[in-house]
Amino acid sequence: MDQGTAIFLISLLATAIFVLGVPIFLVIAVWIVGVSVVLDLTFDNIGVALSDVFTDGFALLAMPLFILTGDLINRSGIARRLSDFAYSCLGWLRGGLAMASLGACGLFAAISGSNSATTATIGSIMHPEMVKGGYEPRFAAATAAAGGTVGIIIPPSIIFIVYGFIMNLPISDLFIGGLIPGAMMVVAMQLVCWIVSKRNGWGHLIRLEARRVMKTALGAWLGFFAIGLVLWGIYTGKFSPTEAAGVTAGFCLIMGLVMLPLYRYFGGATEDSDPAQRSVGEMLMVKGFSFKELPDVVMRSGQIAGILAPLIAISVVMQQILSLLGAQATLQGFVASMGGYYAVLATAMVMVLIAGTVLESLPNTIILAPILAPIAHSMGVDPIHFAVVFLIGDAIGFITPPYGLNLYVASSVTQIPYFQLLRYTLPYLASLLAVWVIVALVPQLSTVLLSYIGR
Amino acid sequence: MAELFTDLSDLFAAVLANDAWMMNEALSKPSGYLACIILMALGVPLLLGIFKLVPLLDRNLERWIIIASYLVITAIIFVEVIRRFVFQVQVPWSTTLPPYLFLVMTWFGAAYNAKLRSHLSFDEVRMMLPPSGRFACMVLDAVLWLGLSLVVVTTTLRQTTNSASNFQILLGTDNVMQWWFYAAVPLSWLVLSARVVENFIEDLRAYRSGSELQIGAPLQTKE
Repeated sequence: MDQGTAIFLISLLATAIFVLGVPIFLVIAVWIVGVSVVLDLTFDNIGVALSDVFTDGFALLAMPLFILTGDLINRSGIARRLSDFAYSCLGWLRGGLAMASLGACGLFAAISGSNSATTATIGSIMHPEMVKGGYEPRFAAATAAAGGTVGIIIPPSIIFIVYGFIMNLPISDLFIGGLIPGAMMVVAMQLVCWIVSKRNGWGHLIRLEARRVMKTALGAWLGFFAIGLVLWGIYTGKFSPTEAAGVTAGFCLIMGLVMLPLYRYFGGATEDSDPAQRSVGEMLMVKGFSFKELPDVVMRSGQIAGILAPLIAISVVMQQILSLLGAQATLQGFVASMGGYYAVLATAMVMVLIAGTVLESLPNTIILAPILAPIAHSMGVDPIHFAVVFLIGDAIGFITPPYGLNLYVASSVTQIPYFQLLRYTLPYLASLLAVWVIVALVPQLSTVLLSYIGR
Repeated sequence: MAELFTDLSDLFAAVLANDAWMMNEALSKPSGYLACIILMALGVPLLLGIFKLVPLLDRNLERWIIIASYLVITAIIFVEVIRRFVFQVQVPWSTTLPPYLFLVMTWFGAAYNAKLRSHLSFDEVRMMLPPSGRFACMVLDAVLWLGLSLVVVTTTLRQTTNSASNFQILLGTDNVMQWWFYAAVPLSWLVLSARVVENFIEDLRAYRSGSELQIGAPLQTKE
């Protein structure tokens, strides 16, 4: 048997065990070990990569720290306050609560960097409210799943960190590039949400009151402060993204611990009570958490980091082997043969979309980005613009079956079966695809802010 | 065969002599895998025994390591950024130590997820299978985890001994050795193997008794 056939059979085997539910980390590892045997490569590369991916630099460290920040703002009650604020702004519209969920996803994403954390946090806060508010439960769950996609586009973002790490691009520039497209994704999904809710008559309306908006904005001050801290630190160059993540996580941790006694002192109103009925003092405090609760919060982040970080390391090894096999050159040849600027961009987008339906976003990025980015760059596509286009495609992959991570997370949070979510996700998927095409066609959407701040 | 045993005795002598260079030389030979099979065959039951004797450790080993690493990483970065802003000083290891703690945290996190069966997977087909098919998939998982553990334990032990034999010091420090952190990788994979065996024993019991076989949820999102 020649090497090509053997590698093809190993790839088939890897696909088969993926379908049988073997963890993705193991599927990639099986492929690596199998291909290493066929090519007579040493396994030592595996051991070295599994360690050195983490110890070679400081940049990747931003990933666990932004995950921790997300969990800290969730447990401290800040995420709930951001959701209240979004609802007070949008509740007067038909579908306002669902639109507020999407807005809250955008605000949460501006502090945390994870799609699954965004879906899990906002889903667990807003889904019960939406069901109470007369929304179809499956649509409510689909809203959380789709809203979570902006978690990795609105900065900070785990996947931007990994992309910058792999492609040697400034992570803070990537963050800036994601701002406008991320906001567009939120607005597009809100538009869809409004149309669907209006057609079905879902949701109860609340009046738009300046006092309520002001009060909930005051209640979310810690969230806005954390968002400001991240954005200011990174964009002024005062912190590296990792430092920004560490400072924000430290800030949220201290605030969470300090707020608990203050919250109790000021009456400790339940978070379910109407914000309009609460005093300013109550609104300024969030429920926080105790020292005793802290290990659970950290552990939750540790568990997610313990899933994602090994995937990054093993995908790096797979990428190295793929380069050795010449897959990079073959694929680059194929993409380049498509023609000019737009044809190359379109081909790359189709490849990312197809890969996103079966691959998790991290392997997808680590394997495909080094293949597609150089050819796009050679065709004149701006590297930051390409990164944003690539990663929006990755984000869309979170809600595309068969493997859509956000759908799993939303299903787990809301107890609605995975397959029942799919139909209700379709309108959101269409809106995200439309935004994706617009962002791809208009590079300025990714680069204008960078030019504005002179980078 | 005789050569294999000679290599193994060389490794044993190197361990007794506490000589990292000799250990690395011995582990770098193909017999390194045999040595690691023996290590795993002894280490996994030993860990399972310890977990049984000390349930507190069984519940918390990975938790304690992950929580401590995570909080120390956050504290170092937070404090050092503040110190840089306020006092214009920063300790040199504040950017080199956290990535090594991240390494420790990552692989003990992987072991923790193996214990909870929460590594990302596509479970839809598996859930539709009859109990025997589901159990067969679980056997496959266990075999693949243990096979990969052997590869990772061997290759990362080589890296650890290589680092120790070269006296690699953590940048920014005077006497903190890099191998202390590298050693966490084979150790965490040994713990991961013990968790896989622990789960497999549980699955086997459940299968024999006809009770429901557990399939882990992707990302434990319950609060």
